[in-house]
Amino acid sequence: MRKQLNKKVAVFKSRMNRKRALIADTFCLTKRRRCAADSVTGESQADIRSSLQYLVTLFSRKLFNDSLPPVVLKHQLYSLHNDKTSVDKQVNELRETGELLMFQLGFDSEAFALVFAEDFRAKVLQGEAGRGTLGTVEKFLAKLIPSCSDLSFNKEKMLKEFLFTDSEITQLVKSGVLTVRDAGSWWLSIPNSGKFIKYFIKGRKAVLGMVKKSKYGEILQTELEGRRTTSQVKFQMKYHIHDIIGAELVECIQTTSGTLLRYVDGNVN
Amino acid sequence: MLSFLYARQSGLDDPVRLRRAESTRRVLSLELNHNRDVDRIHGNGINTLDIEVIDGRYMLSGGSDGVIVIYDLENNSKKPQYTCKAICTVGRSSRHVHKFSVETVQWYPHDTGMFVSSSFDKTMKVWDTETLKPAEEFQFDGNVYCHHMSPVARKHSLVAVGTKDPKVQLCDLKSGSRIHILQGHRGEILSVRWSPRYDHILATASTDSRVHIWDVRRASGSLFTLDQHNGDKSKTSSEAVNTAHNGRVNGLCFTADGLHLLTTGTDDRMRLWNSATGENTLVNYGKVVNESRKGLKFTVSRGCSPEFVFVPCGSSVAVYGLHSGELITMLRGHYNNVDCCEFHPDYQELYSGGKDCNILAWVPVLRQPDIEDEETNSKRVKHCLYLYRSAGLD
Repeated sequence: MRKQLNKKVAVFKSRMNRKRALIADTFCLTKRRRCAADSVTGESQADIRSSLQYLVTLFSRKLFNDSLPPVVLKHQLYSLHNDKTSVDKQVNELRETGELLMFQLGFDSEAFALVFAEDFRAKVLQGEAGRGTLGTVEKFLAKLIPSCSDLSFNKEKMLKEFLFTDSEITQLVKSGVLTVRDAGSWWLSIPNSGKFIKYFIKGRKAVLGMVKKSKYGEILQTELEGRRTTSQVKFQMKYHIHDIIGAELVECIQTTSGTLLRYVDGNVN
Repeated sequence: MLSFLYARQSGLDDPVRLRRAESTRRVLSLELNHNRDVDRIHGNGINTLDIEVIDGRYMLSGGSDGVIVIYDLENNSKKPQYTCKAICTVGRSSRHVHKFSVETVQWYPHDTGMFVSSSFDKTMKVWDTETLKPAEEFQFDGNVYCHHMSPVARKHSLVAVGTKDPKVQLCDLKSGSRIHILQGHRGEILSVRWSPRYDHILATASTDSRVHIWDVRRASGSLFTLDQHNGDKSKTSSEAVNTAHNGRVNGLCFTADGLHLLTTGTDDRMRLWNSATGENTLVNYGKVVNESRKGLKFTVSRGCSPEFVFVPCGSSVAVYGLHSGELITMLRGHYNNVDCCEFHPDYQELYSGGKDCNILAWVPVLRQPDIEDEETNSKRVKHCLYLYRSAGLD
C-alpha cells in the first residue's frame, strides 16, 4: 500500500520538476545557442553505433547455433535515446554508407530489423558454403552491400540493373536472401530468420503478459529484469524490455525507485 | 526576462522575440485553473469547437445531441473567478435544430454574423447568428463528416464538404449552389482543410489512407498525394504504396503559416509534411493513440517558437513539439475521450471538449512572485504604514 503511494508521489514530483525545467529553458535561449551545436552531431553518430553494439551483445547467438547474424530492431534504439527523429536520421546515414542493413520482418509494418553489413555477409556466406548457390549469392551481396539501401526489389530492377537471370533469382530465393513479397517483387531477408521471428513474437507476448498480470498492470524495470523467465522467453530479458519500451507497448514512468513500466491498454498483441 | 526587455528597448532585438518567448513560456505552463470554467449546456458529447478569428471572444460548440451553443470567453466581471457563459443556444426545442449529431461548426471567417454547421443528418446549414435561423441549407446523400471555409479567401466563398461519398463537394455561399466536385478518393472523406496561405489550395483526407492536395482552380485532378515513404516504393507492401498512413487518415491541420501540414491516422502515427512539395519530413512523434472512427480535430499553437501540436489522445490532450517530435506533456482532466481542441492565440489558452460533456479551459499559470520580491514588498508596506501612522499622530 505504502509502496504504491510512494510511487504515485514520485511520479507527480517528477512531472512538476520537468515542467519547471522546460519553462526555465525558454528564457535561456542564448545559453542554448552557445553550447556547441557541431560537436553534438559528431558524437551522436558514434552514440548510435555504440548503442547498436550494446544491443548486439544482448542477442543470444547460441540459440540459433550461430547460423544467424545478431539482429537488432530499430525501435529498440528509441528506448535508449530520447529524440526519435535524430535516431531515424542517423540510422539512415549508416545505411547510406553501407555499414548497416535494414530488413522488413513482416509481422509488423513498422518493425524493422537492423544487422551490421559485415556480420550479415559473414553469416550468409558461412551458411552457403558448399552449396551450388554460393556464386549467385556472392554476386548479389557484392551488388547490395556498398551501394543499395532498398528493402525490396522488383523484377525490373533485378533483371536490368543487377543483371540477374530468372534462374539466378530462384536460387537467391532458395538460399533465403530474398523472400516473396508480391508477383514479381521480393523483400530482402535474413536466411533462417523464421525461427527468430517465431521466438521473438512468443517472447514479446510472454513479457507483456508478465507486465499485465502484475498488480495494477505496472512493474519496476529492475524487478522485471530479475524475474525468472518462462520457457516461452528464449531471448535475454533486457532484449525484450528494450523492444517493448521502444515500440511503446508499455509506458515508461520515471520514479524515485527507478523506471516503472506500465502496460498500455488497447494493444493489438 | 529583464534582459529581453532591455534588448527590446535598446533595439538589439526584434520586438517579436520577447512576444514569442513569453508565448512559449505560457504554453509550456498550461494547466487546469479552478478560476476558469465553461458553462455546461450539452447533454451529450461535444464534437467540435471553434473560436472566431476577429476578436477571439466568441466560441461555438457543436454536440452529439445536435445542439449548437455560443459562449462568450471574455471576462467582464472584475473577479478572477469566471465562468464563460453561454449566450445563445440552438437547442432541441428549436424548429431548425439538426436531427442528429453535429460534426463540425465554423464561424464565417470575416465576421461573426454567420456560422456554418454540418451534421450526420446529411445537411449543412448556414445560420444567421442574430436570429439563429438557417439562411441556407445544403442537402447531401451521405453523412457529412466535416466542412471547412477558407480563412484567407477574399475572391471566393467556397465551403469544402467531406461526406460518406468519395467525391469532395464545393458549395458556393454566394450563389447557394454546389459548383464543383473533386474526384480522386476511393473512400469516405473524413477531413478537409483549406490552406491558410493560399486561398485555392485544399487538402482532403479519407478512409482509403490517402491525402490529396487540390488546386480548386484547375479542372483536372489533384495536385499530388502525400506518400509516407517519399516515393521509396521498396519500404512497404505493394498495396500500401503511395499512402499517407497505414490506416484511415482522420485528422488534418495546417500550421499557422501554411508551410507544413500535419496528418493523423488510425495507425497511431502523426506525420508532418511539407505542404508545397508533399514531402514527408520524417519527424517521429512516436505512438499517437488514435481510435477515432470519425474525424479527429486537433490544433497547432500560433506565435510561439518552437510551435506545439495539441492532439486529443484518449482522455487527455498530448502536447508535442512540432519540429522536434518530442512529447512535452499530457494535459489530463477529462473523464472520457477528448474529441476536439482549439487554441486561443491571443491569450495562449486551450479549450478542449469531449464525451464527458465538459469543455475544459487550460490556462497558463501566472508568474509566481519571487520570494525576495514578497519580502521587500511587505517591508515597504510596513514602512509606509509606519510613516502614515507617525504623520497621523503629529
